[in-house]
Amino acid sequence: MIELKDVRKHYRSGNLKSEVLRGVNLQVKKGEYVAIMGKSGSGKSTMLNLLGTLDVLDAGEYKLAGKSVHKMRRGKRVRLRNEEIGFVFQHFQLIPNLSVFQNVLLPLTYGRKRLGKKKGRVLTLLDEMGLLDKRNQKPDRLSGGEKQRVAIARALVNEPGLILADEPTGSLDEETTESILSVFDRVHEQGATIVVITHDLEVAERADRILRLHNGVLV
Amino acid sequence: MKLFTAFKLACFGLWSNRYRVLSAMTGVVIGMFAVIVLTAIAIGVKDTLMKQMGSLGAEQILVMPGRVLDTANGQKDILSGLTSVPSTLTYEDALALKDVPNVKTVTPQLETVNFVNYGDKTIQSAIVGTTDQYSRVQHAKLAEGRFFTKEEQFAEAKVVVVGNNIHDSLLGKNGVPEPEVNGSADVEETKTWWKRILDKLLGDNVSAQENSLVGQMITINKESFEVIGVLAPNATLGSSTDNNVVMPIETALVTTEMKNLTKMIVETSSLEVVDEVDGAVFNSLAANHSEIDFSVVKQDQMLGALGKVTSILQVMLVGITVTALFISGTGIMNVMVMSVRERTREIGIRKALGATTFEIMMQFFFETLLLCIIGGAIGIGLGYAIIEVWNSNIEIFALVLPMWAVKLALYTSVAIGSLVGIYPALKAASMKPSKALRFE
Ligand SMILES: Nc1ncnc2c1ncn2[C@@H]1O[C@H](COP(=O)(O)OP(=O)(O)O)[C@@H](O)[C@H]1O
Ligand SMILES: [Mg+2]
Repeated sequence: MIELKDVRKHYRSGNLKSEVLRGVNLQVKKGEYVAIMGKSGSGKSTMLNLLGTLDVLDAGEYKLAGKSVHKMRRGKRVRLRNEEIGFVFQHFQLIPNLSVFQNVLLPLTYGRKRLGKKKGRVLTLLDEMGLLDKRNQKPDRLSGGEKQRVAIARALVNEPGLILADEPTGSLDEETTESILSVFDRVHEQGATIVVITHDLEVAERADRILRLHNGVLV
Repeated sequence: MKLFTAFKLACFGLWSNRYRVLSAMTGVVIGMFAVIVLTAIAIGVKDTLMKQMGSLGAEQILVMPGRVLDTANGQKDILSGLTSVPSTLTYEDALALKDVPNVKTVTPQLETVNFVNYGDKTIQSAIVGTTDQYSRVQHAKLAEGRFFTKEEQFAEAKVVVVGNNIHDSLLGKNGVPEPEVNGSADVEETKTWWKRILDKLLGDNVSAQENSLVGQMITINKESFEVIGVLAPNATLGSSTDNNVVMPIETALVTTEMKNLTKMIVETSSLEVVDEVDGAVFNSLAANHSEIDFSVVKQDQMLGALGKVTSILQVMLVGITVTALFISGTGIMNVMVMSVRERTREIGIRKALGATTFEIMMQFFFETLLLCIIGGAIGIGLGYAIIEVWNSNIEIFALVLPMWAVKLALYTSVAIGSLVGIYPALKAASMKPSKALRFE
């Protein structure tokens, strides 16, 4: 599903150049559940942004579902992102002035498929997440766990093959963490490929495989 | 291309930020309001001037004191003649013009300012000495009584026809404070137009029928005159007859020191002879004057001068419009740039979920555009309302709002919206999603 070959990425602030990824190699099979750990500032988010096509790599190769992402034009990359990738972030990243329903609907509004029939899918997902009765509320009325379940519903709405989660439980307490993790388990059982970034070993241990990012390489 | 989606998102974006949007819109609203109202005023002024100056009929010729300069392109610069110069035109000149072929009537006007007294009221007024043709030639209608006759004119009859304001002031009807007779001459004795508007709005209006001066005696320069008529209010600026006391020119010559005419209106027997008479009038006057210290003006020359006034108004309007647009345009742009900044995360999220650069760009572009159009429409509506209220309450001076001005204002709001919308839209579209999501 995912293939990274010798991926490099650096940031430049002023004339200070920091090499964050210095030759990352990664292979994730379809349907696999992988956790990536590493110290703060080690480049985990940078790597996830590359996987999610939110950013472009400096050097190396990235293949997703057999397609060479690093050679793609921006338009194609945006479509791939919309159709194949679902994001879950630490800070939920819900749009505050949209209702729960509208937030979940967002990937569909930008998709190429007709919206009409897809609205039913939003309701089904909200029902699965136990949020059906909150569908018309604004995100700021929800608890952290509820917000993250809205975000997961949104990540799943386009039925993507790959779920990328950047510290999804980083803002949650233990109890809600457990409920979110069981949602991931369920999604995994249904056949999705998941890459989750975390600090928390307990979270990482739910995955099939744990990798560590250290000094710009994966070990 | 998902233009419609972007448009829907823009509508939604505006709605969910409606309080901020409202404050951003005030600039456009005020700008467009100002443009609409000022256009209406400018065109109203033009139309009023047109009515007033254009009251010189096509078959009439105006003789004014002072020499009208010729402009570089050979046209007469009538505005240069409007500045006051001492007049050398005399009643004899007027009488001589009567012998010019094809002249139907000559209406000379003497004018001075003097105190008019009735009972315990003394006010200052313009005293006009003229012929029995005055009311017809000046389009002055009578509210009451009658105008003096040719017989009265030549009999030097002590009769006057008073303007509407003078009439009301002498009867104490419009609450104008009594002037200090020994005071300075520039005190406004008679009602100004805005006072009349105020009266109108306050409903403090007294009908002239209630109490009339017709048949009463008034005193001017220690001599008694009988009031035989009252002129109807006439709604032109500047040369309104409302503040005049009109008497036969023969009477004026013997009861006042006035000798020189402020103007003469020569009526020709037909339209075809106007050019010919114009030359003859000039020659007749020139024969009696040592130098050319008078001007002979036809209607088409008058209209040429009006054209100049109109073009000044237009330049003024363009200036006001550009200023209003600049102010509202920069205001909107600032608000939108701020909005884009504040919604950095939203933009990042939308991009992460598959929004294209173009979709983001169009969303913000449409937001700005809609904001300007809605603001413009509100401004136009408010302006229109004010103009309607003004026109249904105030007759002195009508505001005129032509359809083209409304269209122009609407098109301009679309134009500013489009112009000013580009920058914030590009700013939003060019954000990198990975960075935008990190934005706090
Ligand atoms: N957009 C950026 N511009 C400049 N430096 C960045 C940017 N994003 C991340 N960095 C830097 O790159 C390093 C890795 O960041 P990140 O990938 O967010 O680490 P992690 O998610 O592992 O904490 C950090 O030192 C961070 O300051
Ligand atoms: Mg991180």
